[in-house]
Amino acid sequence: MLKSTIDFLKYRWIAIGFSLTLFIVFMTMTVYRGGINMGVDFVGGVKIIGKFSKGIDEGKIREVLKDYNPMIQQIGADDKYEYIISTKLKTDKETSEIESEKIKRTLAEKFQNVEFLSVENVGPAIGDFLKKSALKLFFVAIILMAVYLAFRFEFKYSIAAMAAIVHDITLCFMFCGFTGIEFSVPIVAALLTIFGYSMNDTIVIFDRIRENIQLQTKTNYLDLVNKSITQSLSRTLLTSLTTLFAVLALYLIGGEGINDFAQVLLFGIVIGTYSTVYLASPVLVAWERIRAR
Amino acid sequence: MTRGMIYKFLFILFIIVFSVALILPTVGEKRMQVSFFSDPGTELMQKFEKRFPADAYKIDKEGTSLIISGQNLTDAIMNEVRTYDGVRDAVFLKHWAEDYLLAKKINLGLDLQGGMHLVLQANFEKIEKKMGKPLSDSDKNEITQQALELLRNRIDKFGVSEPSIRPRGTEAIEIQMPGVKDPRGVKKAIGTTGRVEYRLVNDRYSKLATEWLPQNYKGKSLPEEKDDLENLLTDISTGIKLPDTLEVLYYYVREADTKKIVPSYPIILEKKVSIAGDDINKAWVGRDEYGGLAVHFTTTPEGATKFAEVTGQKNHGKRLAIVIDDKVRSAPSLNVQITSGQAMINGDFTQEEVQTLARIIKEGALPVDLRIIEERTVGPSLGQDSIEAGIKAIILGLAGVMAFMILYYKAAGIIADFGLVLNTIFMLALLSWMGFTLTLPGIAGFILTVGMAVDANVIIYERIKEEIRNGKSVRMSIVYGFERAFWTIFDSNLTTLIAAFILSQYGTGPIKGFAVTLFIGILSSMFVALFITRFFYEVISLNKKIKKLSI
Repeated sequence: MLKSTIDFLKYRWIAIGFSLTLFIVFMTMTVYRGGINMGVDFVGGVKIIGKFSKGIDEGKIREVLKDYNPMIQQIGADDKYEYIISTKLKTDKETSEIESEKIKRTLAEKFQNVEFLSVENVGPAIGDFLKKSALKLFFVAIILMAVYLAFRFEFKYSIAAMAAIVHDITLCFMFCGFTGIEFSVPIVAALLTIFGYSMNDTIVIFDRIRENIQLQTKTNYLDLVNKSITQSLSRTLLTSLTTLFAVLALYLIGGEGINDFAQVLLFGIVIGTYSTVYLASPVLVAWERIRAR
Repeated sequence: MTRGMIYKFLFILFIIVFSVALILPTVGEKRMQVSFFSDPGTELMQKFEKRFPADAYKIDKEGTSLIISGQNLTDAIMNEVRTYDGVRDAVFLKHWAEDYLLAKKINLGLDLQGGMHLVLQANFEKIEKKMGKPLSDSDKNEITQQALELLRNRIDKFGVSEPSIRPRGTEAIEIQMPGVKDPRGVKKAIGTTGRVEYRLVNDRYSKLATEWLPQNYKGKSLPEEKDDLENLLTDISTGIKLPDTLEVLYYYVREADTKKIVPSYPIILEKKVSIAGDDINKAWVGRDEYGGLAVHFTTTPEGATKFAEVTGQKNHGKRLAIVIDDKVRSAPSLNVQITSGQAMINGDFTQEEVQTLARIIKEGALPVDLRIIEERTVGPSLGQDSIEAGIKAIILGLAGVMAFMILYYKAAGIIADFGLVLNTIFMLALLSWMGFTLTLPGIAGFILTVGMAVDANVIIYERIKEEIRNGKSVRMSIVYGFERAFWTIFDSNLTTLIAAFILSQYGTGPIKGFAVTLFIGILSSMFVALFITRFFYEVISLNKKIKKLSI
């Protein structure tokens, strides 16, 4: 379809400017919101989904539970009267177990027909454990990927890919802060998926660059990269599109437990595709130029 | 067609047929048997008729139980039915494919079928205080194991169908209980410390009870239901006219394969407690003088006096039962008087039995204080909602991607779509066959792979198109397309596989489920694209005059 080479790398400074702007906007909003909204999984606390009888609204529940200062959010259709009630631990001393029982008892006393669809309570030790293992997870993932790339390709490809990955993960993380999405264990899974996805995208282009180098050695490196991106462009766009379709389906009807997860994935797939074209490749070119000097 | 291609074709056909058979228990018609405490009244029957309308389900009466059949039945629905008043139990009947083909119904995670997930931690502070020194890691590990034994002992009385109790790290225990009727009761029971006591066995009445049982109780083995077991105890004690100073309890054994602790036979004990659990100081596994396995223990100074009395001459030949939470777990005979406060129990023990016994004795000496540090309970109705939403999302995602592929690639798109359907079947088949658990994030992983699965096809097709543009013949383009795409697909998918693998190592169940589906999805999509789709194109290439490819 595309016969002529598109000069993608011409826009690399604009791209870097765009990424920086995005980062600053996300950062400002995150700070404005008071930091990343760490979920019950990581800080410990109680999360209850309750189904209430007709006519009970957020205000009434808040009134009953005012001692606990909970966050209350309605989920699903208006006529289902289902609410998420969550509180976070303030000090290490409290136990979520006791608080959760107290809240349930209070609710059951005040609203006769309340039904608890799900109850989660996470102690501070678990939150800490999950936080640490999530960090460890990213660390291990980055190292393994870097080693694999350095082994299958060359060191510079590994560096370029990692730059793109760090860019994607940072922006996705800040995206959670920007939108106020609660950072939970499923979000960690979403970030890691984006990690793998963006990597996958990058490799397809790098693979093409490597192949083109073997075919023609005389061309200027920049042109060669541009040509490779152009050749892979339809694949990059098509795969992103089909994946977006699937995640969109998830976002639209996946239900409460999946909504935030899908939202982060949607953003991550777009940003991952963008970083493959406009970030990973320029880093590669920059590396090559520095070395040539 | 060459001979090689015919073999290939037969192989592909076999895999497809086998996979379809494997997913039958999951997607095909399922049958659920519901049993009741007494004959279900009209009110309960109406509830069933309302819950299982005739257009989607069929209700049959079989003896005293109901058989409900339908395609939409799930574990979540089974767990919901179990909570109905008057329902004794609900179980799925085996699908024919399960009997003949090792096929299994797909496991659903607790977030989909409803249930309770608990993480408990032993509180070491009290024990450290009592011992007067900080505990080493291996001590902590041992105490956690001891708590594990206690929990196995305690949990099955709640009628939880398949509880999974396992250690997590050295200090915590993870319990998964699908479909719990009474979450609060379970938590309360888990929170209390165990009570261990040593009481003398009355052999004369024990013999009477063993004789009474087959004559007066019809069942071949002891009843499974908790209430029936209790009632039987009263029946036995009135039946053999038990004096007030004695009491009937059950002797429990651990089933080797399920690790469940089940009642084995009734045994009569004195009500008087000869030795209390905390009269024992220490217990450990060792050898007796003949080299057999034995549990050694020492008593406290007070315990030594009681011990000397109970092991006195008058009791020789009698047995001393070790009772934990009103369950008799062992009853060694008394042979010698022990005044030194140091003794051992020997017998024909296996390593596991002797360790269990030592742990029970230690539990009495140093009761473990368990704290719930994590709880996740999901009701069956929320689980069912998630299943339904998940199925809808999968169908919508599939339809969207398939329509797009046909619009963009025309005939080649149809081949890719066929591959996509196969991929979905293979994934389900692998998941159920290998016994992986499908969770809500797992469904998300499933949908995500639907989107990503066509990637391999896209890479191949784009390459073929490019080769055609470069002026190669259609046949050569196909050959080059597949060849050049192979390593690209391999490298790019391997990174996602690495990510999925790392994720699968990450603690909690639901996320593991996501990683596993992602992993399996990528593997099967590579297989479909590089083997099955390729075969299609090999067949197409047989036509030597082919000039145009619809791609």
